[in-house]
Amino acid sequence: MSVAPENYVGLSAVLFFIGVVGVIARRNPLIMLMSIELLFNASNLALVTYARAWVDNVGHIFAFLVITVAAAEAAIALAIVVVTFRSRHFVDVDEVSVLKG
Amino acid sequence: MIAFWILSLLMIASAVFVVTAKQPVHSVVGLLVNFIALAAMYLTLQAEFLAVMQIVVYSGAILILFVFVIALLSSGTKPFNVGPDRAPRILIPAVVAAVLTLAGITVTALRTPVTAIQTTATNGTTGDANAFGSVANFGAALFTTYLLPFEITAFILMVAVIGVVLIAGDEGPAGLSRRKPKRNIQREPILRRVDKVGR
Amino acid sequence: MLLYLVWLLPLIGAVVLWAFGPQLKSWAGPIGSALIATSLAATLFLWSEATAPHGLHVPLVSWLAGWDFGLQLDRLSLIWTLIITGVGFVIHVYSIGYMDGDRAFARFFAYMNFFVFAMLTLVLSDNVVGLLVGWGLVGLASYFLIGFWFYKPTAVSAARKAFVMNVVGDVAIMFSVFLIVSRIGAIGYDRIFAQVPLSFGPHDLFLICLGLFIGCAAKSAQIPLHTWLPDAMEGPTPVSALIHAATMVTAGVYLIARFAPLWSGSPDAQELTGVIGALTAIAGAILGCAQWDIKRILAYSTMSQIGYMIMGVGVGAYDAGVFHFLTHAFFKAQLFLGAGIVIHALADEQDVRRMGGLRKTLPFAFVAMGTGVLAISGVPGFSGFFSKDAVVYGALETGHPWLYAIGVITAGITAYYMFRLLFVTFFGAYRGQVDPSDLGIRHPELAGTAATASSSGHHPEEEEPHHHAPSWLMSGPVAILILPTIVIGWLDFGGNAPWKQFFGGFFPPTKFPPLPIEGTWPPISEALSTALVFVVVVIGFAVAYLRYGVSAAQRDAIARLRTETIRMPGVLVNAFYFDAAYEALLVRPAHALGRWFYRVVDPHVIDAGVREVPISAQWLGHLFRSFQTGLVRAYALTIAVGVVCFVAYYAFAFTGAGR
Repeated sequence: MSVAPENYVGLSAVLFFIGVVGVIARRNPLIMLMSIELLFNASNLALVTYARAWVDNVGHIFAFLVITVAAAEAAIALAIVVVTFRSRHFVDVDEVSVLKG
Repeated sequence: MIAFWILSLLMIASAVFVVTAKQPVHSVVGLLVNFIALAAMYLTLQAEFLAVMQIVVYSGAILILFVFVIALLSSGTKPFNVGPDRAPRILIPAVVAAVLTLAGITVTALRTPVTAIQTTATNGTTGDANAFGSVANFGAALFTTYLLPFEITAFILMVAVIGVVLIAGDEGPAGLSRRKPKRNIQREPILRRVDKVGR
Repeated sequence: MLLYLVWLLPLIGAVVLWAFGPQLKSWAGPIGSALIATSLAATLFLWSEATAPHGLHVPLVSWLAGWDFGLQLDRLSLIWTLIITGVGFVIHVYSIGYMDGDRAFARFFAYMNFFVFAMLTLVLSDNVVGLLVGWGLVGLASYFLIGFWFYKPTAVSAARKAFVMNVVGDVAIMFSVFLIVSRIGAIGYDRIFAQVPLSFGPHDLFLICLGLFIGCAAKSAQIPLHTWLPDAMEGPTPVSALIHAATMVTAGVYLIARFAPLWSGSPDAQELTGVIGALTAIAGAILGCAQWDIKRILAYSTMSQIGYMIMGVGVGAYDAGVFHFLTHAFFKAQLFLGAGIVIHALADEQDVRRMGGLRKTLPFAFVAMGTGVLAISGVPGFSGFFSKDAVVYGALETGHPWLYAIGVITAGITAYYMFRLLFVTFFGAYRGQVDPSDLGIRHPELAGTAATASSSGHHPEEEEPHHHAPSWLMSGPVAILILPTIVIGWLDFGGNAPWKQFFGGFFPPTKFPPLPIEGTWPPISEALSTALVFVVVVIGFAVAYLRYGVSAAQRDAIARLRTETIRMPGVLVNAFYFDAAYEALLVRPAHALGRWFYRVVDPHVIDAGVREVPISAQWLGHLFRSFQTGLVRAYALTIAVGVVCFVAYYAFAFTGAGR
């Protein structure tokens, strides 16, 4: 590896940072979900980095699994978003605070 | 080397664009750029199969899904309706939490010894189809050592499909309509915000 | 085994009479008495076994290691058992007559049987814990019986007072038991005495004896725990006769005699016991001179005589002390029963100032009480003479000249006030019709007179005309007791006396060596001591005769009695201010503490704690509720915080050993 793995992981950390802020600070559910995809990718990057650093396939396999699970999760999350906001005029997660105690 | 820095810059810029765009469609485009850059990053790490997977599954399927949902929910060319911001000052603690996370990850990475970095030949240099990261290598590992996770993955996908159909389907097997009647959305749902606790 | 029968029959009687009292009605009396008689008979059957060298020993139950409960009947407990069942039986029969017509006739006999059972537990146990159990039960029975007429507030408070003081003694004995068990690990007498003085440290014996003695002081009404005994006269007269004269109050004497090896091993304990016994004897005698209630006079005389006994067994004259117990049981029971005849005949009049001249109207009572007075004064030929001499001479022999002197003086005072009682009650003219204030009585209801109708449980229609002769149920037992009152003293007469044969070997001088005394000791012979005591007794009699017995005194009785009442020193009237001291030092602070708890602790501490529990639960609930905003973003932030924690853990927990 020409570039040390810390750089890659640092990049992954920055992406993770951006993703977290995006999830919390945006109100549009679709953008929140996209931020979550960013989080997934950040962790994938770290996994693949260390797979290369230690020449172990397990990182690749795990990243593969993460991609698959992210796909499934995105599908279900979008289905929920569709159902929730289908009959409403606003697309804003702040308005669905039915769980308020 | 240079590839890393250029790609990383691209990735960060597109990620910021995703998070800050006003329109969801713009965010999708930003996300697309992010994924492609990430695939390229994988290539620099000799994860050829994963790079292709990234493009095909992520940018090819998931992003399209996002686009369709945006189309489903949008009421034309107008931006989405939004209510008032009910947690106006949540950005500060969010940033704090995220920064701490970043610091934690970085510290962990720095404390991980990488004395055992090994060099491995690529497919390109040796022409060996079984080199690390290649499809053959990946497939061999996937179908022998990690067969169980693979099967479970298939299971997960099946569950996801069933779940989506159940959640968002219009009609059940008996022909009963599950579509909710149109509501008067001006009416507040069940709980009224009458006390000050929590707000 | 027959010994079980002796012990348990009274308990069965108590339970049956308690449970079926209302159905049995007047059969309760005979049933209770018969059971006691059976116990007595069984004891007599066991005579030969009991007088065997080691007595009769029956194990009951083994509990912890070293805690073996059982019954034993050796000579010491045999004496007590015979008195308890014998005198007890006599008093039961007497009570059938005395308590006749009482509302709670059966309950009385249930309590009396229970008392006999408790006392038997005390004396028949072969271990110190059984003794303590019996001790407590006897206190309980005393509480029941003193407060028998519980609608009288004075009776209730007297019962409570007796019980509380007894509990003080119980606790002291308990501590002694703790010490014994911690040193020996066993509770049986044989095991304890086998280890004296090996397993006990230098102060252990004294502390154990101290604890036991405090128990004795409480139970046997020694100073300073004596104040309950005069008040205990609120109970019916048979009760006073049985438990406050013959048996319960002598439990202390039994305890000291039983634990003789411990006492003999601790000269300090012996000093203490002897001194307190002597002080009680003389204090009781002095106070007896100032009383006007016939039962209180007898109560103080009991206190004084038990002081003698305690002094006797305390200084090591064990057989003398026990012998005095034997004689005292008879003559004191007789005195009380005779007093009961008088009281019953005069419709519950107890103040001697309002009696007089009963010699002619109640001749049988006069004979009974006369013999009792002669015995207790130590007139030669009567039983008290022999035993009292033995006790005071024993004190001298063991090297306590001051105690001897106190004992002799007390004998004189005893003669004085007992003959005073006799003269005032039975001689002269009857003063029952005299206005109480003429006699100096300011509070008739307090002085034990029958001015108020509620002073006893007798129905108003049962009040016979004055001076009716007692029924055979009451006079029979008294007659039975006359003979031993006179005669039993002769058991100790002479060098080869039956008493010495019976009991002398129980406390051999080899096992209980007297303390070494330099010089020739004792300074006076026994005969000389007897003469000295006789002289003192005569002096006492003479003073009483001159004050109350001469015809001039009898003619002026009313005026003289009034003068004496008015001039009685306050110290004596208030019983040396013991009651007042207890009131000020213990009772008032306890009440104040209770009030403080009521006003401060209860509302502000306990109630506050209870109030605060739901309030803090509510507060906690509000706190957690504030997290449930319903906002997705807030929940997402919470998850992010959790992620931070995870990452922090991984950042710092692993030293990065990795691959």
